[in-house]
Amino acid sequence: MSAAARPTANRSDLVRTIAGREISVKLHDKGFIASTVVFLVVIVVATVLPALLEGGTPSYTVGVTQGAQSEAEVAQRLGGLNNDERPSDIPAADITLVDVASVEEGLADQDVDAVLTVDGQNAMLSGRDSMPDELLTLVTVAHAQSVIGAVATEAGLDADQLATLTSPPAPQVVLADPPPDFAVPPQLVIIVFGFLFYFSVLTFGMSIAQSVVEEKQSRVVELLVAAVPIRWLLSGKVLGNAVLAISQVAIIIGAGLIGASVTGASDVIGQVAGVSGWFLAFFVVGFLMLACLWAVAGSMASRIEDLQSTTLYMQIAVMVPFFAAVLIQDDGPLQRFLSYFPLTAPLLMPARMIQGTAAGWEPWIAMALVLLTAAILIVVGARLYAGSVLNTSKRSHLRSAWAQGAGA
Amino acid sequence: MSASTTLSVRGLTQTFGDRTALDDVSFEVRPGRLTGFVGGNGAGKTTTMRAIVGVLKPDAGEVTFGEEPMTLGVRRTIGYMPEERGLYPKMKVLEQLIFLGRVFGVDKDVARERATQLLEDFGLSDRAGDVLHTLSLGNQQRVQVAAALIHDPALLVLDEPFSGLDPNAMDAMSERLRERASAGVPVLFSSHQLDLVEKLCDDIVLIHEGRVVATGEVRSLREERAGRRYRVQVEGLPDWSPDLPGVSVLTAGADGTTVELADGADPQALLVSAQQAGPIAHFGRVLPTLADLFAEVSR
Repeated sequence: MSAAARPTANRSDLVRTIAGREISVKLHDKGFIASTVVFLVVIVVATVLPALLEGGTPSYTVGVTQGAQSEAEVAQRLGGLNNDERPSDIPAADITLVDVASVEEGLADQDVDAVLTVDGQNAMLSGRDSMPDELLTLVTVAHAQSVIGAVATEAGLDADQLATLTSPPAPQVVLADPPPDFAVPPQLVIIVFGFLFYFSVLTFGMSIAQSVVEEKQSRVVELLVAAVPIRWLLSGKVLGNAVLAISQVAIIIGAGLIGASVTGASDVIGQVAGVSGWFLAFFVVGFLMLACLWAVAGSMASRIEDLQSTTLYMQIAVMVPFFAAVLIQDDGPLQRFLSYFPLTAPLLMPARMIQGTAAGWEPWIAMALVLLTAAILIVVGARLYAGSVLNTSKRSHLRSAWAQGAGA
Repeated sequence: MSASTTLSVRGLTQTFGDRTALDDVSFEVRPGRLTGFVGGNGAGKTTTMRAIVGVLKPDAGEVTFGEEPMTLGVRRTIGYMPEERGLYPKMKVLEQLIFLGRVFGVDKDVARERATQLLEDFGLSDRAGDVLHTLSLGNQQRVQVAAALIHDPALLVLDEPFSGLDPNAMDAMSERLRERASAGVPVLFSSHQLDLVEKLCDDIVLIHEGRVVATGEVRSLREERAGRRYRVQVEGLPDWSPDLPGVSVLTAGADGTTVELADGADPQALLVSAQQAGPIAHFGRVLPTLADLFAEVSR
């Protein structure tokens, strides 16, 4: 074959082919599919379930005997007030009133939850085996207003004075430094994102290491290296797994946001969507920063069984940022420092942003530091990988891998 | 085919720690010829092959193919079968071949076509959709060869392609290699099965403790090393023994008598002496087998 007729090696085609295999293998891996589905179900349940549980105002049907109408109507009106009109100690309830002749007759109807009777200053709520709290509170307030009204009328107060007496004007509250209005506690958002990243980086980092050691152990790497430059091989692996990791995280965040929008928690969406861009950007860079080192952890092993020990430091490198983000949530020098330290910055800088303690320029600086570290670690990782991936006989050592990787 | 597709190995030297694995290894693999690479365990066959395909960077020496150095582009035209085999155990056979084809720059559809054809040639069509590790070792071996052929290579470097094959599979494999060679491809393969190499190969390279001790055409090598050994068979006289100066009897039996001639001794005198004893059933020079040569150099 002459040089002219020979197909040239196309870098992007080869990297894509290698990445394509990584993706296809993972998408056919039942364990991976199962864990993603479980994750999605957990997210959907976590967003939809609370809304379903708290969801909706309770409805009660109250039987009203002769003389209890006015109290019953006040209770019904209080329970039906809009959220912004209703005082905080008054519960919401959707009350239907039906006229009944007596307590017995009322309770004989299974649709009726309670019967209200009023005799002068004495009110009585009759139920079967229990009385809903909301109903009891509403009737208590309604009856108190009626009693106060009666006393006030006796004392000769007019309607305005009575109104002032029954609902005294609340003072206007002015805060000089109001905290941000969070729909969800920021701590919770940080834990959720932290766990998501921890899980994802661990899954796909391990997957890179496994894929590398699988090729070493099966010796397929000899075939590949004969035809593909080692660094292209590494790029393909990292690219394939990065695409999967980012897609998985994006799908899970997306599912969470859709879940929140379906249940009408639009304030949650506003809060999370606002920071998830930064979270994702830091995630991508943070993942790439460690990806080549995961490949090194794989190439230092010669068998799948060695992975536990060769990936130990990598597992720690992923665990530390997660626990730092979860445990160090107080704004202080430690959190500030960790939000710039490249290993922990991808989680702690967005965490500070969510808490509102980071200035606008801070994430850019942290991002630059992480990018710089990523560039260094990719170069170091690629050299170590090149120096150890063909050593199939025994576990490699970093020093010899570094020396071997020089010209590879 | 011209010399432009000859594989040349010149002065390969490689040490591992204080052990010299290759010591100035040089030989050629010519187009259209099957070249057997023979040597004991640890003689340096695998190291040499790894150096040829670029998996290993030797301390010294160079490899050229058609006078071109082994650049990435050249290496991608090699069909290589590594010693310890190399395929993804959990990937399906056909998918695996298509993937490797694409790695070697073959278009996806062409790769599928070729892979299907190769599997058919090796009698593995019904296993195309099976995961590799569910195949027997012999069948995995055939898939491995198919992987080495998927990109219609311009050069074949196969490390022990016959190990673990049953006689039928060995025949099929021989046929495949012969076919490639006939198409003008230089084929280098290593083997421990000396009788097979002797039967199949045009050329051999004999390596011992990292040094090439013999290289060239199988026939002429045997002739070269034959010495002055003759076998004479006289009908009805299994124990015939000549009484001639400079002729010593090595063995005598039903197959005849094997003798070694001293430098001055004339083989014609031996023939005449035998004819006088009775009718001749066989008279000829004894060529050493490859096994003899091998035993000689590795002594």
